[in-house]
Amino acid sequence: MSAVKELIGKPAEWLSGENEESELVLSSRVRLARNIDKLPFTHTGREKVMADICGTLKETLSSVRSMKGALVIEMDETSEPDRMMLAERHLITLDVVKNYRDRALVVRPNEKLSVMINEEDHIRLQAIESGLSIRQAFTSVDRLDNELDRQLTYAFSENLGYLTACPTNVGTGLRVSAMIHLPGLVHNKDIAQVLDGLRNVRLTVRGIYGEGTEVMGNLFQVSNSVTLGLSEADTVKNIETHIRKVLEFEKKAREVLLKKARSLLEDKIWRAYGILKSARLVGSKEAMGLISAVRMGIGLGIITDVPMAVMNEILIMIQPMHLQALYNKPMIPSERDRVRADYIRSRLGK
Amino acid sequence: MVCQVCKEREATIHFTNMVGNKVEKIHLCHLCAEEKGFDYLKKSSFGMGDLLAGLLGNASGKVKTKQVRRGCPNCGTSYARFKKVGRLGCSECYDFFKDQLMPLLRGVHGDTRHLGKIPKRFGKRVTLQRRVHELKEDLRRAVELEQYERAAELRDEIKRLTNSDENRDETCRQ
Ligand SMILES: [Zn+2]
Ligand SMILES: [Zn+2]
Repeated sequence: MSAVKELIGKPAEWLSGENEESELVLSSRVRLARNIDKLPFTHTGREKVMADICGTLKETLSSVRSMKGALVIEMDETSEPDRMMLAERHLITLDVVKNYRDRALVVRPNEKLSVMINEEDHIRLQAIESGLSIRQAFTSVDRLDNELDRQLTYAFSENLGYLTACPTNVGTGLRVSAMIHLPGLVHNKDIAQVLDGLRNVRLTVRGIYGEGTEVMGNLFQVSNSVTLGLSEADTVKNIETHIRKVLEFEKKAREVLLKKARSLLEDKIWRAYGILKSARLVGSKEAMGLISAVRMGIGLGIITDVPMAVMNEILIMIQPMHLQALYNKPMIPSERDRVRADYIRSRLGK
Repeated sequence: MVCQVCKEREATIHFTNMVGNKVEKIHLCHLCAEEKGFDYLKKSSFGMGDLLAGLLGNASGKVKTKQVRRGCPNCGTSYARFKKVGRLGCSECYDFFKDQLMPLLRGVHGDTRHLGKIPKRFGKRVTLQRRVHELKEDLRRAVELEQYERAAELRDEIKRLTNSDENRDETCRQ
């Protein structure tokens, strides 16, 4: 699978650590769900119909301007570890890892814009950007959507908007999310209250790997849960406003920490950095915790010799399937812990 | 977060329950919430207005129309199947299961009206419809506030817009 190898050969561009608030916001993601009018949704359609839809959409996508030069990856032609790796890169969902018949991924080589064909909906457009850049992500997904609208007949109703397989997406079909890093609020225990606040304004909060996953490395994924009764612009504005509020809380928490317990905090950060630079075995959960401390150290200007982009790349690369792909062989967890430690050391110098 | 009941679908409805002095957090998917809605509502500590009203509406009214048994004419999906998998079968299902879906959508989204983007082929008509809807709202408010002059203006504007719409439709048909 050369297309998959081409992707993994270099880090995704959205890990660059550029753009606003990138110390606190790892990435911003925008997704649009679309379906073809009257055709059965993916889970009801017969194989023949799904294959036809997949073929048509691949053709359409390779003809639009936004997807010029994009890679087309047929899920039928990938191995399970390859698909797992694409999931670790947030390009496909775990559902596609398991159910891969007649599904495809069309992705720009920089991974900032991609389309899943025949996931829960016929079309899932996705844009990811580094840092807090929800608007930028929305703009590129919206442009691609307009290009497709000229060639396809979308399932749409005047009252309910874009019709999706799951009624939780109907309307705008828009899911906006940001991955935010909140070690300060976790430390001072205000986090529960902040998350409750977000839920009360109908935002969803999850762990880094999405639905039903636990929070690791103090990374939280915040997304909108409502897609009716609100325009795309308002959805984007609303979530951005609330995320900015949370970021202010996080900044304050860090300030207080620095004022009250500077040496303790510095010690924790330097120790974490020390372990990452010298450990010989490290599990993924431990690694995530240590990376979180180093990220905070970079954010506070305590650690200055590692760019944020390197920490972001490490976060992706230390996942099981990425390590396997990197070392080109299947591994048992204890072997992975060794390889993970090796990889991190190699990225952090000595 | 996964729904506490089915442990399968994503929990989209979160509420806080008071049992005696104990606070309990509940996370449900829209379908399980719909099913459990009635019990949880009775004990719920804060009013989520629309959300629970929607759930209540659906939980208390047993659905027994013919549609439920027959299934969508375009894809064959039955209401029972929809409830089981949490997904509709095709875009036509939305119209076919309208009566059951509306309270559910109100429960999940707190609203049932799309205010976002419109595909090109619908463009003009929906924009016009929205403008008329807004004007009607303004008109209602004007009447409430006894601003009769303004109300008359609004009424004329609505008439003008709806007439021109009909006219255009006619020319299209010819
Ligand atoms: Zn459930
Ligand atoms: Zn149907």
